[in-house]
Amino acid sequence: MPTPDLHLLLNLGFIVITAAGFAFLGKLIKMPSIVGYILAGMVLGPGLNLVQLDHSLELISELGIALLLFLVGIELSLQKIKDLGGVAMVLGSLQVLFTALGGFTVAMLMGYAVIEAVFLGATVTFSSTVVVIKLLDQKGATNRLYGRIAISLFLAQDIVVIVGLTILSGLGGGESIELVQLAKNLAFAFGGMAVLLVVSLTAARYVLPKPFAWASRSPDTVFIWALCWCFLIVLLAHQFHLSVEIGAFLAGIALAQLPIHEDLHRRLHPLMTFFIAIFLVTLGIKMEFGELAVIWPAAVGLSFFVLLIKPLIIFIILARMKFSEYTAFQTAIAAGQVSEFAFILLALGAATGLIGGTIVALGGLVGILTIAASSYLIIYSESVYQLVKRSGVLKWLRAKQEPDPEVSEVLENHIIVVGMNALGRTIVQAMNERGEHVLAIDTDPKKLEGLKPADILIGNVEYQSVVEEIGLRDAKLVVSALQIEDTNHLLAYRCRSAGVMCAIHAFDVSVVNDLLDLDTSYLLMPAIDGMVEQRELMSTKGVI
Amino acid sequence: MTGLAILLVAAAIAFGFSKLFHLPPIPLLMLSGVGLKALGDQIGVEVEADLVREMIEIGLAVLVFTAGVDLSPRRMLGRTRPIMIVATTQFVALGGAGVFTAHLLGYDLTTALYLGCALSASSTLVVVRHLQHRRQMFEPFGRLVLGVLLMQDVFIILLMVALLKSPDGVLASIHGVANAIALGFLAVAVHKWLMPMITKRLKLDDEELMLGALGMLFAFSGMAYLLELPFLVGAFLAGFSLSAFPMNGLVRGMLGSLSGFFLALFFISIGSVLSLPSSEMLWHSLILVAVLIVVTVVLVSVVAEAVGYSTRASIETGIMLSQTSEFSLMLALTGYGSGQITTELFSMIALITVSTMTLTPFISREKVAWALMKLHPRYRRGESKCAQMVDHAVLLGYGRAGARTIQSLIEHNIQVVVVDDDAAVIRKLIGQDIACVQADGSDTRTLELTHCRQARVVFCSMRRSRDAQIALDYLRGEKPTVLVRTFEPDEAAMVEAAGGHPIRSADAAAKIFIDWVELNLKKPLNHHHL
Repeated sequence: MPTPDLHLLLNLGFIVITAAGFAFLGKLIKMPSIVGYILAGMVLGPGLNLVQLDHSLELISELGIALLLFLVGIELSLQKIKDLGGVAMVLGSLQVLFTALGGFTVAMLMGYAVIEAVFLGATVTFSSTVVVIKLLDQKGATNRLYGRIAISLFLAQDIVVIVGLTILSGLGGGESIELVQLAKNLAFAFGGMAVLLVVSLTAARYVLPKPFAWASRSPDTVFIWALCWCFLIVLLAHQFHLSVEIGAFLAGIALAQLPIHEDLHRRLHPLMTFFIAIFLVTLGIKMEFGELAVIWPAAVGLSFFVLLIKPLIIFIILARMKFSEYTAFQTAIAAGQVSEFAFILLALGAATGLIGGTIVALGGLVGILTIAASSYLIIYSESVYQLVKRSGVLKWLRAKQEPDPEVSEVLENHIIVVGMNALGRTIVQAMNERGEHVLAIDTDPKKLEGLKPADILIGNVEYQSVVEEIGLRDAKLVVSALQIEDTNHLLAYRCRSAGVMCAIHAFDVSVVNDLLDLDTSYLLMPAIDGMVEQRELMSTKGVI
Repeated sequence: MTGLAILLVAAAIAFGFSKLFHLPPIPLLMLSGVGLKALGDQIGVEVEADLVREMIEIGLAVLVFTAGVDLSPRRMLGRTRPIMIVATTQFVALGGAGVFTAHLLGYDLTTALYLGCALSASSTLVVVRHLQHRRQMFEPFGRLVLGVLLMQDVFIILLMVALLKSPDGVLASIHGVANAIALGFLAVAVHKWLMPMITKRLKLDDEELMLGALGMLFAFSGMAYLLELPFLVGAFLAGFSLSAFPMNGLVRGMLGSLSGFFLALFFISIGSVLSLPSSEMLWHSLILVAVLIVVTVVLVSVVAEAVGYSTRASIETGIMLSQTSEFSLMLALTGYGSGQITTELFSMIALITVSTMTLTPFISREKVAWALMKLHPRYRRGESKCAQMVDHAVLLGYGRAGARTIQSLIEHNIQVVVVDDDAAVIRKLIGQDIACVQADGSDTRTLELTHCRQARVVFCSMRRSRDAQIALDYLRGEKPTVLVRTFEPDEAAMVEAAGGHPIRSADAAAKIFIDWVELNLKKPLNHHHL
């Protein structure tokens, strides 16, 4: 039987405490948390040498990446895929072509050899899916049009990367390229992708709906089943030499077609947040700065290309595809960094003997510079857009000025009712009759049936993401019919913080004082109110 | 990644069976781990030992941390004395009974002490989930149970430290306990002063909350490590430091999925490292399980009633606490790590934990509590007044509204008799000189005894709607008006069909609330939904 040696816990301890420290510090100087995490990694790794990467930390990082892409997939219905599939293909191929050519030319001009310029060109071409989705998620922009275009562009890039990695794997230690083997590998990878797609879509339609509907009243079961499904598809992808990202993304798409996908997304989100923070810290730990003095001019030049020229290429393509100036600008800004895949690509190049360690270090430095800079640019992209627009530069690029249509629903002045027991349902119906805009919430989908015209949401109000999604701050009244003391207290606390009136079910005298301390506007007390009804009945029936 | 996927498949199967057979997931997860190991031995599909070890490490930390977050001392307010009495008595008596039984079964003193300690604590994880599921967290007995759990966890942590340091002498044990207490004081200070200040001054988003909470976990675990205490002591105290409202609620939302994930993998991993106990150990486990259940139920029921809880609450508290804890597993694992106990003994403690956790939902059913209540001595003094009653009121179940109903009836000069099977309630009513019968209101002999058919009105506020159905069937077509408290519409429909009059408390509350809304909220200008 294994005994604890606490090695992983010690590593995680250092990582979490340092990351938390940098995140709080970052809050004070408005630094994006991603930059804080990478800096924390640089302190722990190259700085103090406190944490060495091992198999366990790599596994946790991979988990983070898988969960991130799984969550992206979970938000993509088939309709959304149809809408953006074509855009991704056109934009992806043109951007990859022009950026790779541009990067190659810049590297050649800097005096690098052809093969080194090829690798540097590839390095600057791809953007970081993980970093960008994390930032868009932080901004709440994954569902905006530019967010969706950016994500689809990066997934198209991932496919190109897979082809690149397959070609590199086929090089076989720097010797001659075996064309037949290479073709076989590529066919295997694309065949695998087709198999995964068919498996996911077939499962989404015929296999998953019934078991997930059966288990929908047991959130823990649904949560574990979803994770199990994700990792099974990731393993299947692995069998076809496909990346974790592709597998997890397709697994997510299958679950996106189920009615509980939104609740699943909310439950998985905190798990992803933790693992992805670890991944970002490990990125910092991996950094090497031994040749900094030699490579910094080239790093600055290539970073300039990634931060300025690459977004410009994307802007021009999107403008020609008739997207608005705003959408094109925001998408372009999102792409201004180097992908973590570039590190893998460079490491493979070094392993096959095609490039030296200097190029790997250069790629790493460009990576950290561009990820840090683009984190600021993405987080503050609205202000950056206004600034650039005022400078008049965008006029020269002649993009459409009219905004693109966005599907968004603003919740305002509505009434939120939580917990669809008899009390909650009666209140929803009464509010419907009063003509209010009502949002009914419960964790059990069955209890939400038959409440039209009220809007419904499957979810747990203990999650901050749910609180934001239901627009609690802009509600005119929040009602909880729940008989769960902790949840009611938390809801009352959040309403008080947001300055929103709330009515909470005081199902027992022991909870009354606490709810009054939390400034609850109204206490629902069926036990007491039932007495009024009882007295009326006694009178009507001649008992008294 | 393959190992992780295998663990997740095992967890998915366990959760599926848990849902299908309405069993708690923890024992099923451990059994699934045992199955995984057996399958590995058969067909060679094996999860790497390193991964299993790491899942146990992280899982334990998260488990103990989560338990700490759930145990807010605020719930103990105004109940400190009864909680201290029940917790101390149960811990000492059950621990003593465990040590004594183990000694009788031939174990040496150290092993017997480990077994005694393992038996003496109940599972926070199982009990909290159970109380949440049954919506009983707020009930007086729910608060008593949570308070007892908190005290038990503190006791077992201190004992664990003392036991671990015992090979180095008494002074080392005392030094270890003093260190644990010092760390505890730091946790109390964070809980009391730092957390409220942070909640008030900083507006933390989800990510910062999660990192901050986990940072606290690792910071306290690190301090425990530096003080040469088991890191789990730090993990528990970190959880406790965050258990103040509203921090506990805010953190719980963020940590829910993280703990769900790691706990599933933890219990699978624990299952996969268990070795099958010998028949002798199985027999010993059975004896210890019996000692645990009998001693806990009897002792806690008696002590809780003695400190002022109702009979039903006392019995339910006893039943609810009759399982071993995740801390027992932690203790066994720590003891095994330090070489003080063998693999077989670890497996035995795990077996006792699985069995008692599995039994909990079955023995904590209402009918078990009702059956045990019948064993309680009956108070008959209140029955004497029933004999001559005619045109009176009968309350079947005292319930939450009993006192108000009696007051209103007395104001109208209507004689009242109360039927309740809770001895403590009956004792109180006898003290107030109110006619009462300690019996089951759904028993027709009780209905006869209280002359229900001659009554003017019968109020029914019994827990189960099928009990009300029996009373309604007995009174169908008879003189009294039967008023039954209901909450859900299907209960009201049943009452009407059986000839009674439902008191729709949910509808009543909604109606009064809507009146308040009409007064306090402007009607929307655009009636777009109509």
